[in-house]
Amino acid sequence: MHAARNIKLCTKDCLCLFVCPTGATDTENGQIDFAKCLDGCRLCVDACPSHAIHLVYDRYPEKPGKDGAVVAALGLLAQSKAEQEAICESLAKDGGPKALLAKGLALSNRILAEDATREANHLVPQDTHSKALLKQLVEDSDDKDFPKDIVAKLLDLL
Amino acid sequence: MEQSTSYSDGVLAAICSNLAKAGEKQLKNEESVLFSQLSRYHMGRIAHLESKDFSDLSPMIADDIAKKYAAVENEASAVVDRGALRCVTWGKKVTAIHKSLLARFETQGDALLDGNQVYVCEACGFIAVASDVPQLCPICKAPASRFVKIS
Repeated sequence: MHAARNIKLCTKDCLCLFVCPTGATDTENGQIDFAKCLDGCRLCVDACPSHAIHLVYDRYPEKPGKDGAVVAALGLLAQSKAEQEAICESLAKDGGPKALLAKGLALSNRILAEDATREANHLVPQDTHSKALLKQLVEDSDDKDFPKDIVAKLLDLL
Repeated sequence: MEQSTSYSDGVLAAICSNLAKAGEKQLKNEESVLFSQLSRYHMGRIAHLESKDFSDLSPMIADDIAKKYAAVENEASAVVDRGALRCVTWGKKVTAIHKSLLARFETQGDALLDGNQVYVCEACGFIAVASDVPQLCPICKAPASRFVKIS
């Protein structure tokens, strides 16, 4: 568990520099040096007058699995939104004001599809369901261009 | 191109782009970039569509509202899955906005966009056609900083 700074909220009062026992909060890029930050120390989090620092967890709990019928219904919804996104993407190539609306609708449909998948067991990458999906993609793919190296790296990191 | 996973490339692209965002929020940059790359791979496999029109969306939107969101709502209510019910609450409203924007575009044409920009809420997908960025998302209450300006 280490501290992280939201630079958009930081008001440069530098209380985090005063309280940090390792100097991890004083860096040239605005972010805290995670390697120097002490696990769970949180002195800077509590000292910051603008609430610009929070703790980032190393481990996330396994989520309770979703009901199968809910996952199936969300899957059909995500599929519909993905199809609408593809239609909007094709219309975005036309140019002009229509394209602007099409691009906006494409992004909106992507966000709706993402939301449906998030509620269907794919909230965080560390979850068993997301890792199982990655493994299944490798097993099932018959495409020679499937990026096996990317999936292998992900499984290694997660 | 048949995939034996039950998800299409379009849905896999959305799963991966969502996991990229979740990784970014955990400040796991490497994982986030890899999930984005995997999302783009699946995007690239989606068949290129031709001679489509906004009118193709209307029956899909009607079906989403009448059947697909209703189905999620029924199943989620039965097991008291409040997260899925939240997804239905936001999604149905955003889908109704799609319907109304398309109806307005049909009557007004390009004039709908005159002097206006298109803003999308990254949190819930709400679209605003307005001269300035919304200060608060009317659907999910996210602040102006969560809106993307489409260009």
